[in-house]
Amino acid sequence: MRLVGVDVGGTFTDVVFTDTEENRTLIHKVPTTPHDPSEGVLQGVVELCNRHDIRRGDVDHVLHGTTIATNAVLEHAGATTGMITSEGYRDIVHIGRHQRPQNYSIQQEIPWQDRVLVQRRNRVTVKERRVPPTGEVLVPLDEDGVREAARALKAKGVESVAVCFLFSYIDPAHEQRAAEIVREEFPEAFVTTSASVSPQFREFERFTTATINAYIGPKVTRYVNKLERDLTDGGVGGDLHVMGSNGGIATAQMVAEKPVMTLLSGPAAGVLGGAWTGELCGRDNLITFDVGGTSADIGIIRDGQFGEATARDTWIAGYPLMVPMIDIHTIGAGGGSIAYVDHGGAFKVGPRSAGAVPGPAAYGRGGDEPTVTDANLVLGRLDKDNFLGGSMALDEVAARRAIAGLAEQLKLDEAATAEGVLTIVNANMANAIRSRTVQKGIDPRDFSLVAFGGAGPLHGAEVAAMLGIPEVIVPPYPGITSAVGLLTTDLKYDAIKTEFQVQGDVDFARLSNDFQAMEAELTEQLKADGIDPAAITYLRAADLRYVGQGYELRIPVPPGEVDAAVGETIWQAFHDKHQAEYGHAFADSPIEIVNVRVTGVGEMAKIGQPAIVSGLSFKAAEVKRGVCQFRVDDSLQSFDTVFYARDRLPLNEEMAGPAVILQTDTTTVVPPGCRFTARSDGNLMISIGGSA
Amino acid sequence: MTDLAAAAGAPQTRVDPVTASVIRGALENIAVEMGYKLMRMSYSSIIRESEDFGAAIIDAEGNQLCESTQSTPLQSGPIPGYVRGMMRIMAERGEPIEPGDVIMHNDPYGGASHGPDVGFILPVFHADTLVGFAVTTAHHLDIGALSPGSCGIVDAMDAYAEGLQFKAIKVYQRDRKVEPVWQMLRDNIRTSDLVVGDMEAQVAACRIGAQRYLDLIERYGLETVTGAYADLLDYSERLMRQAIADLPDGDYAATTHIDGYLDQDDETKKKLPLCVTLKVRGDALTVDLTGTAKQIDDKPINMPLEGTVDCAIWLTLRSILLDSEEYGHIPQNSGLTRPITILAPKGSMVNPVFPAPTIARFCPGNQLADTLMKALSNVVPDKVAAGIGNLRVIAFSGLKGETHWVHMEIFEGAYGGRHGLDGMDAIDTLYANTRNNPIEDLESHLPLRINRYELRDDVCPAGQWRGGLGSVREFTYLEDGGASIEGEGHAFAPWGFAGGADGATASLTLRRADGAEQAMPSKLPHTATGAGDTFIVTGPAGGGYGDPFKRDPARVRADVLDGFVTPDAARTEYGVAITPDGEVDAAATDSLRAGRS
Repeated sequence: MRLVGVDVGGTFTDVVFTDTEENRTLIHKVPTTPHDPSEGVLQGVVELCNRHDIRRGDVDHVLHGTTIATNAVLEHAGATTGMITSEGYRDIVHIGRHQRPQNYSIQQEIPWQDRVLVQRRNRVTVKERRVPPTGEVLVPLDEDGVREAARALKAKGVESVAVCFLFSYIDPAHEQRAAEIVREEFPEAFVTTSASVSPQFREFERFTTATINAYIGPKVTRYVNKLERDLTDGGVGGDLHVMGSNGGIATAQMVAEKPVMTLLSGPAAGVLGGAWTGELCGRDNLITFDVGGTSADIGIIRDGQFGEATARDTWIAGYPLMVPMIDIHTIGAGGGSIAYVDHGGAFKVGPRSAGAVPGPAAYGRGGDEPTVTDANLVLGRLDKDNFLGGSMALDEVAARRAIAGLAEQLKLDEAATAEGVLTIVNANMANAIRSRTVQKGIDPRDFSLVAFGGAGPLHGAEVAAMLGIPEVIVPPYPGITSAVGLLTTDLKYDAIKTEFQVQGDVDFARLSNDFQAMEAELTEQLKADGIDPAAITYLRAADLRYVGQGYELRIPVPPGEVDAAVGETIWQAFHDKHQAEYGHAFADSPIEIVNVRVTGVGEMAKIGQPAIVSGLSFKAAEVKRGVCQFRVDDSLQSFDTVFYARDRLPLNEEMAGPAVILQTDTTTVVPPGCRFTARSDGNLMISIGGSA
Repeated sequence: MTDLAAAAGAPQTRVDPVTASVIRGALENIAVEMGYKLMRMSYSSIIRESEDFGAAIIDAEGNQLCESTQSTPLQSGPIPGYVRGMMRIMAERGEPIEPGDVIMHNDPYGGASHGPDVGFILPVFHADTLVGFAVTTAHHLDIGALSPGSCGIVDAMDAYAEGLQFKAIKVYQRDRKVEPVWQMLRDNIRTSDLVVGDMEAQVAACRIGAQRYLDLIERYGLETVTGAYADLLDYSERLMRQAIADLPDGDYAATTHIDGYLDQDDETKKKLPLCVTLKVRGDALTVDLTGTAKQIDDKPINMPLEGTVDCAIWLTLRSILLDSEEYGHIPQNSGLTRPITILAPKGSMVNPVFPAPTIARFCPGNQLADTLMKALSNVVPDKVAAGIGNLRVIAFSGLKGETHWVHMEIFEGAYGGRHGLDGMDAIDTLYANTRNNPIEDLESHLPLRINRYELRDDVCPAGQWRGGLGSVREFTYLEDGGASIEGEGHAFAPWGFAGGADGATASLTLRRADGAEQAMPSKLPHTATGAGDTFIVTGPAGGGYGDPFKRDPARVRADVLDGFVTPDAARTEYGVAITPDGEVDAAATDSLRAGRS
């Protein structure tokens, strides 16, 4: 199999090619083309193939990570959207949960009121109503009303329509029928229903998710269609697949139907890339730490599996989003994060970032505020002549000037200030990791930190030390980990059903049937995508809570018949997980099954282990020596530090820090007391000295 | 010291700024974790969905160090008061606070916010020294008052009628569960499975907070942690003092009114004034509440000074003077309140004398916050909202066999217009920030049907920036049951500002199954309902801000298209002419607007 992974980032479009039979992997980078990212994608693929004499037509699959949907939401640049909803509930998406995002602000904006996705004039109600628990029809669907609404919306010039009815997660028939009528009346519209996007209870969140789907639908559909056409016209073989937020890929057609699946496409691929990195060296408990200029994305892998965010914790641009997503925690901390002293005299770093333009003061592009990158440079941890493989010289004078200004405000010396910037940003990152581990009953000391992105390897060792994480893994190409991640995934679709069944009164036959029906539906979908049924696996799970609670915990469910005995193991697993997550369990309380879900996985070919690189010696790898400052035993000290070229390091030989390791797409810092090894599996391994 | 430091421009600190920043982040993380776990473990929707709970770490002197960001301000804000009140009582009784204790407290005359908001306080010891407290508070569904639910107990005649009073009661003593107390809770509280489960969740969240706080002390040393948070309190104080110093010295006064008991004959129980005089002097200020109505001896809308009145004042001041939209996230702690003095005449509604009842103080307290905002509008007109629409709470209940079901729903108000922004629509206001319950969750678990949940499109208070819109919600009983209701804003519309129109009042209608409709007052003690009866709950709309004739015609047009303003109203209230096809007629608009001046 010949696979191409293309990840479109803000600055660069990264391309990775792998031939799984020859075990050959090639990489390439081209500038991103923001006006139409598909241009950069095609250019990148074509250039890579040309450069290495690969016949484009021989490519079997193109796997793509895109921010097209994300940007449409963040920039509020989607389609004019209409909504058809149940009579009496026209403003569910406007009232939301009637809670302000900020406790202490008069001047705040409310995203769903100030940046509406579907204006009230385009929200039309029709008579229809179902009631729980069975979805019994209280008011039949007024089909004429739907027809009229569709015509009215068409006349108003909307491009897409979301059909959102109460209790459609129990029975979607009304929504489906209404969508059919809309398509008859208005065939050119993008039409979506709330139950098809997210068949779960909580109307504000589900309606909003459906509205986002409709809002970005036309744009994503156009983009995917154009990219498919361009690739075909450009002679590139293979099907186009797009990375979803759930950590799986989907066909272009599926994504055109449910673009909301791709909102976390990029960061999800990063977590997968991190997981693959860990797997190369036999580690399956990992914290992925992807740090760029503006933000740090943190993912948790346990036993080789990434976690999924709970439906109530997922947001984009202030809107709730209820679709399966990898649990990724993003904080505003990166190389461009700005350090400052606030109104009250407190020393803070981020979340405001200097971005790429003007960027840190050290970029010499006019930025004069002190950033994390400037602090790294002042402390000698970045080499001004070897940043990004020497393609960009850093302005040390400008960096020192920016840090000196801050030092004056703080009445600290320059080095202490620079080190303070790093300590604070590292503490922010460590706190973010703590919130995903310690606070959920996970001990980070049992994990390895996979550090990548432009700034991850600069900070990884110190952040790991703060958390007692024993080792840091830096992948072979830290700057393109997301693109690599695209080549490690499977086709993956999710099905979900709300149950509301209570322990002691569970209809196990119904549960079994629901699981089987969902699996059948997924099988059809995956078969239609060309997957051999033998290559499909199913992962079952159930969302459980104690009766009366409002938050669920996900418990895996074994395959096969679900009976009372299986029930017993599920209840026990829930008590255990509740104890582990919250530090408490209510052993005597009855449990409710809120949702059941199945993930259907269609196996795809994947990138193999990289060819073993042959190393040289530490002496041959030495680029220069310099003085770096590190805090050791609570005091700031200077160390003579060797700077090595990563690609010349000897394999499997350990060396003590301090050291700085240079490569084209990142710089790795090994503080004093830590040791590092370039391994034959391609990774750089840092073992953290002592435990914090 | 802080004054001098602020004057010198360079704050003195006890701990280096880097360590201080790290400890600040860690403290905040602790409170967030406590809140997160409490919310996820809890049973009652009032905690898990409405988020009517608080979590904080308090030092040994009673200073608040951090609070959970998810909680509602009216819950976290009073926590230092709970601890001080508990300590007072323990000292009076001569009862020691020991390791392994957990203390339950809800005394509104001893720092608690009101009876249903029960605090669980876990003292934290480090090397045998008391170093602080991990505390959670939460609004409980029922507290054993005269009728089901813990709101709408609007005819409680004294503090004893409001339900169980816990005045610093140990529920764990030296790590041993005090079973008789727990048994008493189970025996005296309706829906005790839910309530006791929530209480256990509160204790579990405190234990986590205490452990994390100890970890922090062990990692950095007690002196460093203490120094860092002393710096943190100074820091917050400095921010507040700077903001106050930016205000011109002077006295700024405002009065608003609450409904009280509109259906009572007794004139002293209705249409009651709330008076605020803000006295700004340099970098400190006094909030003088003189002129506010006398306490009502036998109705529970009196507001405890500590726990309700102080929080309403602190939270309003910080939301306006240190608006997080402008200042970013500023930790809520006791430092913020140091420059503020409150004068509340003893025996008035804002400083009642025991045993005057207080359980229904929620809406009056929010109105007090609004009155303070009105006083501030004299001095920082660009930072306030015009009058807010107040809130309402309903306890729906019924009996299934021998077991009660109770559901509490908090109904949203609306903000007034703001400088440059319309009012926030259908939302919790000022000191409250709770969440509604999904219709799909309610109907799946309770014998209730929600027939309608929409914005009100009959009133849209005019202004250059218009008032926030109100909501309408209808609840129908599917089985026999009852309701207890406390609300406000039926008689007095939210105040318009700087030429903006006044907002719209709220109302409540009970439509019986036979179709007969009856308008209800804002306070309704437990009232029986039958299957098919419906409450129609109409929320208030906030006041308008600024001259409507200065409103951007495009915004007027948008409100016409969205159905909030009629073309006629656009013409008369805003001087904007909208053509039949929904466009702004610029020439006609100009002449309408010129014609008025």
